Amino acid sequence: MVWAVWFGRLPPAEFTFTNGDEIKTVDPAIVTGAPEGRIIRALFEGLWAWDPKTLRPVPGVARSWDVSEDKLTYTFHLRHDALWADGSRVTAEDFAWAFRRFLHPATAAEYAYEMWYVVGAERYTTGRVEPGAPVEIELLEKLPNALPFASGIIVRGTLVALQPKKGPGLICAKHPPGRSGKLNLVPFSAREKIHVVEIDGRQRRFQKGATAKETEDYRWLLYDFRSVGIRAIDGRTLEIRLKHPVPYFVNLMGFYPMFPVNRRCVQTHGYPAWTKPAVIVTNGPYRLKFRRIRDRIRLVKSPTYWDRDNVHLKVIDALAVTSYATMLNMYMTGQADWITTVPTEIVPDLLARKQGDFKPAPFLGTYYYLLNTAKPPLGDVRVRRALGLAIDKREIVERITRAGQIPARSLVPAEISNYIDYTPAKCGAYNVEAARRLLAEAGYPGGRGLPKIEILYNTSEAHQAVAELIQSQWKRALGINVRLRNQEWTAYLSSRRQLHYQIARAAWIGDYIDPNTFLDMFVTGGANNQTGWGDSRYDRLVEQAQQEPDTTKRMEYFHRAEQILMDQMPIIPIYFYVTTSMVRPYVKGFYPNIQDVHPLKALRIDRKRKDEGGRQKSDRAACGFAAKSFSPGGHAGTLPSPRGHGKNTLWNSPP
Amino acid sequence: MTGFILKRLLWMAITLWAVFTVSFFLMRAVPGGPFDRERRLEPQIAANLLQRYHLDEPLWMQYGRELNNTLHGDLGHSLRLADFSVNEIVRQGFPISASLGVVALVFAMSLGVTAGIVSAVRRGTVLDVSLMGVATVGIALPNFVIAGIMIILFVFVWPLFPAAGWGTLRQLILPGFCLGAPYAAYVARLTRTGMLDVLGQDYIRPAYAKGLPTRTVILRHALKAAMLPVVSFLGPAIAGILTGSLVVEQIFAIPGLGMHFIQAATQRDYTLAMGLVLLYTTLLYTMNLLVDISYAYLDPRVKLE
Repeated sequence: MVWAVWFGRLPPAEFTFTNGDEIKTVDPAIVTGAPEGRIIRALFEGLWAWDPKTLRPVPGVARSWDVSEDKLTYTFHLRHDALWADGSRVTAEDFAWAFRRFLHPATAAEYAYEMWYVVGAERYTTGRVEPGAPVEIELLEKLPNALPFASGIIVRGTLVALQPKKGPGLICAKHPPGRSGKLNLVPFSAREKIHVVEIDGRQRRFQKGATAKETEDYRWLLYDFRSVGIRAIDGRTLEIRLKHPVPYFVNLMGFYPMFPVNRRCVQTHGYPAWTKPAVIVTNGPYRLKFRRIRDRIRLVKSPTYWDRDNVHLKVIDALAVTSYATMLNMYMTGQADWITTVPTEIVPDLLARKQGDFKPAPFLGTYYYLLNTAKPPLGDVRVRRALGLAIDKREIVERITRAGQIPARSLVPAEISNYIDYTPAKCGAYNVEAARRLLAEAGYPGGRGLPKIEILYNTSEAHQAVAELIQSQWKRALGINVRLRNQEWTAYLSSRRQLHYQIARAAWIGDYIDPNTFLDMFVTGGANNQTGWGDSRYDRLVEQAQQEPDTTKRMEYFHRAEQILMDQMPIIPIYFYVTTSMVRPYVKGFYPNIQDVHPLKALRIDRKRKDEGGRQKSDRAACGFAAKSFSPGGHAGTLPSPRGHGKNTLWNSPP
Repeated sequence: MTGFILKRLLWMAITLWAVFTVSFFLMRAVPGGPFDRERRLEPQIAANLLQRYHLDEPLWMQYGRELNNTLHGDLGHSLRLADFSVNEIVRQGFPISASLGVVALVFAMSLGVTAGIVSAVRRGTVLDVSLMGVATVGIALPNFVIAGIMIILFVFVWPLFPAAGWGTLRQLILPGFCLGAPYAAYVARLTRTGMLDVLGQDYIRPAYAKGLPTRTVILRHALKAAMLPVVSFLGPAIAGILTGSLVVEQIFAIPGLGMHFIQAATQRDYTLAMGLVLLYTTLLYTMNLLVDISYAYLDPRVKLE
């Protein structure tokens, strides 16, 4: 009993918010979710940060940058007063080392591909090397004075040849580097291979485990990082070279996986020990004070942060709460100042609140249906278009989602045009007549003779409601009967991947504010295409856009590509997401924006308003909500969330 | 007695091994893995991830590695809560669930036993019928309904307790009650049945004949024997209560083991799920062993062999 009533007590925090499920880690390199992003942004700071209102890049550790004429070489100039929590200066070498760690296959960073714009970065992460390539070999031995978790001794050379373990002779003889492009790429992990590397004019043979004669064991054999386009020119200057122009590259430097980690700290303690509050060394506006798993993360203001005068909140608690109803109860009783999601059943009640603290805003995410073009009758573009034209999207957002979601006629959210100079290409508006005509042209007048169609979605009340409404709209407009099928989240994902579906629900959240994050998904054979659809004109336009340095032309290419996608209709966009944050009116510095990013650094509390509000402490209006919003397991009442599932997966994007 | 315990411990080891093996292969047989997202990873990045966690090896190799680590007391790192080892998660979560469980047990036992005795002694009265009626409702109502009603009453209408969270004793009362209520109902019914059974036995009559007051007869002579069914119910119940309740922990945002258990299962967090399954098996087994031992104490007729 003594055990039961003994707790480590904490003084209350100045600001408390609910952060969804427990975050995966505070290591910037290996996180992928919105809850993780909120914490990482507070703990670390990258070269650039995002303005809380406009999301435009604002100076972070770097105070300025230059870009070369061809838009391929970026030079970042670091400020001199950016410090780590241990008092040492944040240098360009820190960034170079952190980027290298981020790209290293041992780190297994899921977002590593966001850095593949950099020359050689993709080769470094994938570990594919061919004869003639410069390579670096990490040996098992370490320098005598190395830190406990430092890498082994690294030797560099040129890969001369790859030999199979047993076969006689070489796969390919030594030859000039220029001709090596013809060879098949060999994954580094193929253990049977012997790598012959020329180092300082001498040939050495490396093999994993060193089982063959005259070979040396090694830990990693990778493309030489010196040939990757990341270089610290001096302590305060970092140069990054890109493969092709990337207009949003500076913005990307404010994306949390690109944040630096402290080399000494990581190499002294190793992962995951270095992430413990007692030892972690960070460089952001806040420090990690305390963590209780699936309960809270306590952040305190950092006294060494360069912009500390503009950090207002001293102590912040991020609570791990998974039930949306519980979040709302905590908000209503004043236990939380900001909740990131609300239960969908009571959205109309929340919208009607006098306080006006529930204001959904457009979000860079699209809810759409995938059409499997490999399955009849969906191989016929007329059928696909007929299905698309016969969905009344307005009815869906007005009757089901109800939080102000916007009916979608394009894949790229229309709101993007308020941030960049891009107007998404549209598909046809709701038109039953045209849909009937198209279906008749395809040989199914009035839906007669149409093969059976089935809609697949992951188990969730909200997705089911959307699918049922579409089912009845198609019945009404086209006279066709479709079946519904739901699967548990991971099973549903695997059905999608293997194209074991006809029509499937899907969602996509943009990683950055650019059409590329949506449109490069549907190139032929793309990992996330999952429709069996491919069009060489589309591939070419996306490719051209990616290579194009001129912004206007670039957007033009993207627009034409999206128009093809909308005409061919391997996907039917249904609606654009909105953010569903609820925040107390006394919280200042909180701006709705398209990526739903609200840096904690910018938040402030209006004391006067808080004290006025404090008098009516508990929010009686909430009483009815609590009753309505409980359901078995406490999570059935979820918004049709972009993660596709109530809570068990990550967002596929930055917040 | 010692031989009995040793034999049972040996069986426990065998059971744990069987549970480990079955869970290991079942978990991996379910479609989907710990790194599945709506966004598909670049193939080489996915390969790097699997390699990092040794998930690219053949199953039997993974099995051997995991079994070996488990035997050495190392349950590995959680795949989803990557900053923590399974041991750390259990070390943090178990006391929390256990504290909640103790409060729930206090509710369950105090309410349940009292109601049961009163019902048995006042058998057939309005009091008996209404107490047993409440108990039946308590068994029938799921946790989350009780939780919903309690939150409306004691958080919003009459703001006595906070809505959710962990850290103070006040935050423990509502979830403790909601978790304990169904158990209290069971305990009440079992106590009543046991009590009625015992009160009809021969040895109770001499106690009354000696002139002992009813209270002494009930508490001193009858209660011990009447608790036998309750005790055998309590064994597994305590194991369940201590390892946490998914529903109650989720509604009240309590960072206990129940929360970890369900998240580990849905997120395919193999290592964490395995650790919790083994913990639960151990607890359940230990509780049953304790129940058997306590039988010998409560009922002299029972011999352990």
